[in-house]
Amino acid sequence: MAGSNEINLNECKKIVPLNTWILISNLKLAYNLLRRPDGTFNRDLAEFLERKVPPNTIPVDGVFSFDVFDKSTNLLNRVYKPAPINEDQWGIIDLEKPLSTEVVVPVIVFFHGGSFTHSSANSAIYDTFCRRLVRLCKASVVSVNYRRSPEHRYPCAYDDGWAALKWVNTRPWLRSGKDSKVHIYLAGDSSGGNIAHHVAVRAAESGVVEVLGNILLHPMFGGKKRTESEKKLDGKYFVTIQDRDWYWKAYLPEGEDRDHPACNIFGPHGKNLEGLKFPKSLVVIASLDLVRDWQLAYVDGVRKAGHEVKLLYLKEATIGFYFLPNNDHFCMLMEEIKNFVNSNCQ
Amino acid sequence: MLRPSRSLTRYLPSFPLAQHLLLHCLYRKLLPIMGPYDSGAMTASSSSPGTSPSNFDGLLAGAGYIWRSSDLQKVAQRLECLENVVVTSPSDVSHLAVDGVIHHNPSVEASWVDSLLSELIPLVPGSESCSAAAFSDPHSAGGSSSPCSSLNPAAVIATCTDQSTNQHQHQSQQPLTVVCTDAEEDSGIRLVHALMTCAGLVQRGDLSLAGSLVEEMKALLTRINTGRGIGKVAGHFVDALGRRLYQRVRVSVTGVGFEHEILYHHFYEACPYLKFAHFTANQAILEAFHGHDCVHVIDLSLMQGLQWPPLIQALALRPGGPPLIKITGVGPPSQDGRDSLKEIGLKLADLARSINVRFSFQGIVAFRLEDVKPWMLQVSRNEALAVNSIMQLHRLLWSGSSLDLVLGWIRNFNPNILTIVEQEANHNQSQFSDRFTEALHYYSTLFDSLEACHLQPHKALAEMFVQREISNIVCCEGSARVERHEPLRKWRARLVDAGFRPLNLGSDVFKQASMLLTLFSAEGFSVEEDEGCLTLGWHSRPLIAASAWQAELQGNSQV
Repeated sequence: MAGSNEINLNECKKIVPLNTWILISNLKLAYNLLRRPDGTFNRDLAEFLERKVPPNTIPVDGVFSFDVFDKSTNLLNRVYKPAPINEDQWGIIDLEKPLSTEVVVPVIVFFHGGSFTHSSANSAIYDTFCRRLVRLCKASVVSVNYRRSPEHRYPCAYDDGWAALKWVNTRPWLRSGKDSKVHIYLAGDSSGGNIAHHVAVRAAESGVVEVLGNILLHPMFGGKKRTESEKKLDGKYFVTIQDRDWYWKAYLPEGEDRDHPACNIFGPHGKNLEGLKFPKSLVVIASLDLVRDWQLAYVDGVRKAGHEVKLLYLKEATIGFYFLPNNDHFCMLMEEIKNFVNSNCQ
Repeated sequence: MLRPSRSLTRYLPSFPLAQHLLLHCLYRKLLPIMGPYDSGAMTASSSSPGTSPSNFDGLLAGAGYIWRSSDLQKVAQRLECLENVVVTSPSDVSHLAVDGVIHHNPSVEASWVDSLLSELIPLVPGSESCSAAAFSDPHSAGGSSSPCSSLNPAAVIATCTDQSTNQHQHQSQQPLTVVCTDAEEDSGIRLVHALMTCAGLVQRGDLSLAGSLVEEMKALLTRINTGRGIGKVAGHFVDALGRRLYQRVRVSVTGVGFEHEILYHHFYEACPYLKFAHFTANQAILEAFHGHDCVHVIDLSLMQGLQWPPLIQALALRPGGPPLIKITGVGPPSQDGRDSLKEIGLKLADLARSINVRFSFQGIVAFRLEDVKPWMLQVSRNEALAVNSIMQLHRLLWSGSSLDLVLGWIRNFNPNILTIVEQEANHNQSQFSDRFTEALHYYSTLFDSLEACHLQPHKALAEMFVQREISNIVCCEGSARVERHEPLRKWRARLVDAGFRPLNLGSDVFKQASMLLTLFSAEGFSVEEDEGCLTLGWHSRPLIAASAWQAELQGNSQV
């Protein structure tokens, strides 16, 4: 076992830049020790080890951020905005004026990853990622601090996501464009992508909030059966089937299996999305992600239900490739997202 | 025979010998190679591409990890080794490795991986989050997040301020910091950090952000025990901040009135501070009245006159018999039409009569001390005069002239003694955040000490009394902010300027105060002597200071 593991590590290191490899391995190692075999999670240690950063009202690299606590939903969201051009305005948080009265400024509601269990909106890796989104896509980002498993199982994360979406939709200071509306896109990586899908479904069903697009960055899906990609890539690129199973077990209701509709979107219990006013999607799949077959099945399923999906399939990309902007995949990703959220601009 | 270090054994108790040997080799060979951090401070949110000038990988820094680019290969190797070791062991062992482990301070180390392998702390804060306090209580294996002693708010705040000020002094000489992972402790620390950040925001005028931080803190408060410790103190401060930000009309809690007197009484009963104040002042007054047949005490805030029965009794018992005692008590007008000053005067008169002491009382009704005119006090030439101020003079500091006015007429009376007791705190600084931080320290210690007191209902109402002080300091400004506490050194300067000289309270007073404290109070209180003044504090942090003064000699003195 030790031998084959060494081969895995070496192979992986050839594909991924060294600093990315170190970052993701470090996370992986920590996560391994936080998950207990009985399904419980060492939350104290997790919070302790997590690298978190505060928001900053004085812009850094053209982006500033602030945290907003919404009393009614008990949600903490971190808002990122492009820096005001006028330096006199730096440090002031305006919660009244819209983002713009002329042009459309997309608002991306972002759900961070972490397999429903790890990370927060103020985790350094996600804070940095959101800032890059703001800068490169010329958008405003709201990162949602949803409740995590195993302390809060399905459907808490979706409930929080839906609450956050409604909250964002009703913020006058997130409006833009001549029609003075909040132009919302949902986005998320890993479990965040899963949340984005489910929240989009709720939005479509309710008809109350219009979501202009979904951006799913190697979203976390699964199912009972073991797909080819899972068998082939198990343990090779930072992720194992065993840890995926653990996270699903921690998130899904007790006693449920991975064919639960939260996990297996188009499985035996999946919802029918035909006829629903479901937004267009941009799905990004890393070819070396072991759940890529489930993600491809998702893309198929959404297309079959009559909805638009743009698939960005990145060869030789592993999970977490977007944490550090040191590879082509990152650049491609940002370009795609930028086009995706700005295509509706008047 | 190779043997792994003791701590590694503790980490992985059930490893077979071969793996122990492997670990030992790793331990020996893979000592951390990072040197001390240079002072090119990096913000965790920097997203500068490539390598920064100080050779740290800029991208990893953005993710919260500080490593030199030149070290990355070695770090990668170590990660691999650790992974091999962990992977070959069953996952339940690796879980033991964490729960039974000594955790290091992650804001100081670059990689906890290293700590697991080698027990040495490499580096540098990776993020701005406040780290946990150091408790010298290493875990023993088997207890996951074993409880520390109850969270000492003063200690938490001390460490927090250290961290925020030492952010850019990265010590490699910092000793092994051993920490308990306790969710509540962590929330408490976050809370303190958030409080200080909020104070900074209020100071900068960033009020809407301060407001959202208040909301966040309220959320944090729901996660910790607000019945005691850091939660209780923090709760009061969060409330006060909230009120400062959101209340359009600032209800000025000036600490006057019937309710205030009740709370004061409970504060008196619950803990030794006021008793100490009264005792020390009375001893000094007793000495100053030695040999005089006519004595007059002016109490600048009578309250319920709790200070005077012991003095009257002591004067009754002095050799040669009691003098004629006159007490003048200053107090605010009663709100319910009663004449509360007169009522207290009558009670004191009753007591005096019962022990055959000739006694008279007069009440001076004044809402503020600066409204009192000297002629109202009816000080006569043949009497020995003592002026007594318990926590009153600081209320005059909002206006430069008020204190001068009052000290002026006190000085003109040339009293035999002026006894002053004040909170030993620096709550009158010009910057809000400075005041706030000071108050957080001070009241944490005070609440700590209150926890040692058990008398109910006194304790709960005493806390209310204290909470009003906190409110006043945090919420109010201008003339409404009356709790302008200043430390002894500042009072010394002011009083000397105003023409007074200090009197040494004397070692007898010190001994007696200490003795009374031991007899009647909980462990932890301490009386200290400070250049002729006495302070009472909690665990060597003075919280209240008593001093005695006389007018500087000008021509004839009455002493």
